[in-house]
Amino acid sequence: MEACIGVEQDLDKAISKFTSLNDHTDKVLHDIVEQVENLKKEIAKQPANTPLSQTQAMVVSELAARVKKTVFQMSTEHRELHATVSKVGKTIDRHFIVDYGSVAPRAESFCCDENRPIMEQAIAQHLYRQGLEDVGDSLVAEARIPAVERTCTFALLQRCAAALAEGDPTPALQWVEERGQELAHSPLPFTLHRMQALKLAREVGVVAAIEYARAQFPAHAARHERQLQAAVCALAWCTPDAPPAPPHYAHLLDPAALGAEAAELFIRESCALLRLAPLSPLAGGVLAGARVIPALHDIRTKMAHPHVIAAWGDDELPLEVDLGEDGGGYHSVFACPILRQQASEQNPPMRLLCGHVISRDALNKLAMGAKLKCPYCPMEQAPAEARQIYFS
Amino acid sequence: MNELNCLEHPTLKVPYEVFNKRYRSAQRVLDVEARQVASVTGEIDTTTKNQTVTTGEIDSLLGGMVEKLTTMKRKASEAINEELQAAYVCKKRLEHLKEQASALNEPSTPQVRTAMNQWRKVRLDRMLVDYFLRNGYYKTANKLADARSLRDLTNAAFTIGSRFTPTPIPYTKCQRREIKERIHSPSFELQIEFANILGPNIYAAAAEVESELCQQRTARCLQWCADNKSKLRKLNSNMEFKIRIQEFIELVRDDKRLEAVRYAKKHFSTYEEGQLEDIQHCMGMLAFPKDTEVEPYRSLLGGDRWAGLVEQFRWEHARLLHPARLPALPIALQLGLAALNTPYPLHYIINLQIRPSAQKEARSYMCTGHVKSLTIVYNQCYKESTKVSACPVCQPPLNTLSRSLPHAHCSHSRLVCRITNEPLNEHNQPMVLPNGQVYGEKAIKEMVKLGSIVCPKTKEVFSLKSVEKVYVM
Repeated sequence: MEACIGVEQDLDKAISKFTSLNDHTDKVLHDIVEQVENLKKEIAKQPANTPLSQTQAMVVSELAARVKKTVFQMSTEHRELHATVSKVGKTIDRHFIVDYGSVAPRAESFCCDENRPIMEQAIAQHLYRQGLEDVGDSLVAEARIPAVERTCTFALLQRCAAALAEGDPTPALQWVEERGQELAHSPLPFTLHRMQALKLAREVGVVAAIEYARAQFPAHAARHERQLQAAVCALAWCTPDAPPAPPHYAHLLDPAALGAEAAELFIRESCALLRLAPLSPLAGGVLAGARVIPALHDIRTKMAHPHVIAAWGDDELPLEVDLGEDGGGYHSVFACPILRQQASEQNPPMRLLCGHVISRDALNKLAMGAKLKCPYCPMEQAPAEARQIYFS
Repeated sequence: MNELNCLEHPTLKVPYEVFNKRYRSAQRVLDVEARQVASVTGEIDTTTKNQTVTTGEIDSLLGGMVEKLTTMKRKASEAINEELQAAYVCKKRLEHLKEQASALNEPSTPQVRTAMNQWRKVRLDRMLVDYFLRNGYYKTANKLADARSLRDLTNAAFTIGSRFTPTPIPYTKCQRREIKERIHSPSFELQIEFANILGPNIYAAAAEVESELCQQRTARCLQWCADNKSKLRKLNSNMEFKIRIQEFIELVRDDKRLEAVRYAKKHFSTYEEGQLEDIQHCMGMLAFPKDTEVEPYRSLLGGDRWAGLVEQFRWEHARLLHPARLPALPIALQLGLAALNTPYPLHYIINLQIRPSAQKEARSYMCTGHVKSLTIVYNQCYKESTKVSACPVCQPPLNTLSRSLPHAHCSHSRLVCRITNEPLNEHNQPMVLPNGQVYGEKAIKEMVKLGSIVCPKTKEVFSLKSVEKVYVM
């Protein structure tokens, strides 16, 4: 945030200086043009072949000198803004990292002739999934890559989600109704009906909304009691002359926020139902990457430069990155809590009798002959009683 | 450090560079105009000193001065307005970044999360447009920018081919006044129409240069080199030299050898360090027929050099705008794939003589066919039975790219239920079946039928009572 504010301050300063310079230049030049024109009129009153009087000559040369001074002053004033302009650039350089690619020394391999088409196929796949067939086709043609299979399912889902984001729940509701049984445990149907009711309240009137609610809400009353109450209460503020709604209901009365939330929920739930990934592989990869880059830059400022590069020489990233709830965690990974090592076929996870899990190497190290004390609870057992378990 | 600091430098810096460039050209305009006015004032000064001057002469001189001053006023206002437009583009992008910055700071309520996901979607689209532009996929870039209305936030400024019918963008109040004034003044020039195409049409010129180079014409490219001479020299670019060589080659190809020599005299005499060898090759070419088989002259005369020039131009152009070697997309994608790459190595020792079917499999990993047994390290993302449909690394086509990447570092267990794809934690306890397979509590509940469970992996049947809890620290 400070980064943005820092740049904004300098940029605002520059913009205001240029705006005032613009007005100032305009005004000064306008004035001077007027002065010259007045003098011209004055002189033109006399016949064209009258010799110029001494005073007139003085006035004219004085004005000429003034004009000259003014125009050069204009250009000087503009030149003085140089510091303001270059300060913006320097602030950007200071707050944002110029060489963001330095933490990915192998990134060029994605742009070589062999790998580039593969990445571009992934891009085309992503575009098709977003329902942007036109853009995808254009990419396939311009990049000269092999055609990519189009997935109609996603395009349909994306169209429903786009309609939701625009505030129209009709296509999504239709999709949901066709799958009423499977979505019985999902919050999606209620969310969509709520959105439709509030839309009716806004567009047709509260009476229509209540009628709609009467028809649709009872089926969801058991599972969404509180939300249902809130939605019906929110109708009270849907009349044209209602006072501003209390903050608790503001969210329900903002169609844009409601639409965006419903669109997201729709994509998540429908993908879960169809056992599809809500993000395209490209989007998922980039999302994770955007989280890794800051972490790698952080470690780079703490470690000497060559280490990070060397870390790429190994087959492991130099640090663990939390990819967030929705950004990672697609596979189970077991790391032994004793040895802090990832499990492998030679060193698999073992479940002790008490239920705690450690790796086989740790188990062997902790065993005292035929006795083993669990490192986490007081239970004593024989090492042979531990069993190998499988997470995948 | 956060996602903004690390990835968004070009987003702000490129429009800033345009702003800076416009500042410099505005300064030039003001200086030139000031000098023009000064020359008239000088004339008036000398004339008034003359004793025999008439009012008529002075009148016409003053008229000239008014004209010069009006021109200056118009040009100054135009130039400064252009600077302001560039600054506003910068400002607009900053506003967009601020949206995300404030979301990163706030506690994550569902509304903020939705907004953040929306912003990330826009970021991916911006990255894609940037990638397309840098690789010369101009049509695709423009289509995407239009479909997602991203013109202000990306460098795709206007559609190729519609250059002469720019979409009218609302003028500022001040501009409107200016235009009104000018329409009534005789010195109204059409030029203003072009000066007012808002936004930095950064890549539009590049697209034109490229399409010309593809048609084997060099004029625009040389013009571009001349426009950016000082910057190109700072970057040690040899773009202009390469173009000159190509023009020389074309003369030789057309058998205009004398003309070629004259061309060489004119352009090659001021060569710089390291260019002498190329010039020698060029001059040597004069001695050979144009269908020669002798290297290096044969490759110099080859037609694929033009494609190379287009590539080089594209690269130099991107370098001039921003120092980053690569667009953000491949970098973020590569690091993301590495972070998602599973570190759980499963070692498979395959004896090729026992399992001939494994040979084919092995060959895709190893090129030498004489190994009797080899260890292949699989991990979950590359073995059919452990792939997950949601994982970006598991799915084609990115699966191929990820093979050579490092994998995530992991010192803490992170467990996911194979059935529900939900994380295993205190809300969804991991449970183990008697055969050692672990599933989540929720999945177990779903799978129970009449008190017994069929393991989805091994198809063995167990009673619900035999399912036990697992504690993973």
